[in-house]
Amino acid sequence: MAMIEVKGLTKRYRDRVAVDGLSFEVGEGEILGFLGPNGAGKSTTMKILTGFLPASEGTAKVAGFDVFEHPMEVKRRIGYLPETPPLYAEMTVKAYLQFVATLKGVTRAQVKSELERVATRCGLAHVMGRVIQNLSKGYRQRVGIAQALLGSPPVLILDEPTEGLDPAQRAEVRQLIKELAGKHTVLLSTHILPEVQMTCQKVLILNQGKLVAYDEIQRLAQNAAQPGAAEPSLEEVFIKLTAA
Amino acid sequence: MRNALAIARKELSIYFTTPWAYVVFTAMVGITAFFFVGSLSFFRTINELARNMGWARMPGEYQSFKNLTDGVIAPLWGVMIVITAIVAPILSMRLFAEEKRNKTFELLMTAPVRPIEIVLGKYLGGLVIVTTTLGLTILFPLILSLYGKSESGSALEWSTILLGYLGVLLYGASCLAVGMFVSSLTESQMLAGVITIIVMLALLLVKGLTQTADEPLRSIVGYLSFDSQLQNLMKGVLDLKAIVYVASISVFFIFLTHRSVEAQRWS
Repeated sequence: MAMIEVKGLTKRYRDRVAVDGLSFEVGEGEILGFLGPNGAGKSTTMKILTGFLPASEGTAKVAGFDVFEHPMEVKRRIGYLPETPPLYAEMTVKAYLQFVATLKGVTRAQVKSELERVATRCGLAHVMGRVIQNLSKGYRQRVGIAQALLGSPPVLILDEPTEGLDPAQRAEVRQLIKELAGKHTVLLSTHILPEVQMTCQKVLILNQGKLVAYDEIQRLAQNAAQPGAAEPSLEEVFIKLTAA
Repeated sequence: MRNALAIARKELSIYFTTPWAYVVFTAMVGITAFFFVGSLSFFRTINELARNMGWARMPGEYQSFKNLTDGVIAPLWGVMIVITAIVAPILSMRLFAEEKRNKTFELLMTAPVRPIEIVLGKYLGGLVIVTTTLGLTILFPLILSLYGKSESGSALEWSTILLGYLGVLLYGASCLAVGMFVSSLTESQMLAGVITIIVMLALLLVKGLTQTADEPLRSIVGYLSFDSQLQNLMKGVLDLKAIVYVASISVFFIFLTHRSVEAQRWS
């Protein structure tokens, strides 16, 4: 069963089309890499899927529920890391995660163990008592990821989760996301192409709101290969597809 | 309801970890203290005069200085209302504007929380601070009741004072609701605060300008500048009509805020 189902999704702002007739599906336990240059409509699509923005046309379903008709059912099943991690700078990491856990309906008895689980997963155990505004960018990003994992939602929507991390932290997050596959359905947007190759089975490339490629990574490279030439890298494919 | 309480608690923790709560408490207590001392010394002057001349020969407007409640505390209500008109918008301005600017609004809107829970939680958090701010000024009647004397037993009429507090609190609650609505319309805290303060002060001032105007203008303005509806409460009269009227202003603006938050889903 497809956990994320998008059909003919279009988002218009006055005279600008941010997303144009986008359709795709993500099966349960799959990781889909969401690629595209800046302004291609990646974040907008994610905002529509999480119910933050309405679509102008088309439908989006998460776990079989229409995002617009049954927003609460959808929100219960999604963990979302927006482009800017939604953090309250004045709060401690612990207080913040407790707050989000409560909003996500984690019962009072389970909040403590849930916090521990997520903190260990994201390497936050030793900064739980620190105030968020004093944390480095990398740790803030991790708190953002931790927040999305609270309550173990079946669908994770991560908008550039490795943004602002150093190479070592990036590798950790990649590892984390790989581990999440199978149990969670993940929609992952990023600029960093090798990252997609390492974590995702399938990629979707958007350009100016339109879908330009949607396939398994290997097939994408094979299809783009010129007869007689060597198979191009994902980077070459990406540049070629988004050049138009 | 658990969500609304969690949001209220979050708002409170932010008010107390930033200087806002303390700034507001200090402003309210400090400025009221200044007027309290003034009010008290004026009360003494009038009473000394009355002792020499006898109350019967004093002008009518001084008759209220016969007791501490009407002579010292009642004049403070006007002061507290003006401070509230400035302080409540300062508290309410960040409620939504800050979330929008910091992008945390996305967290609230994508969590399984209904918009009404967000709105009520935020309002409740603000209301606790407004109530505490006004509650701190109970210090002044307490000082009077400890050191004051009157011929008829207790130095103060507490029922009158508590009704006065109810009036000021209702006023603060409606300022907060108006401010929260304005805050939900913008990303700029500064703009939300300034607009709300201007609206509240204009409503306080417009009444004075139309004292001499003709009916029905005078009545209309009287209803709009809703603090004048509270005059009876501040005199110690349990005026249910005024309570319902001013409370419904809060409810109306909470409803408008809810519409404004809900509109996010449609725009």
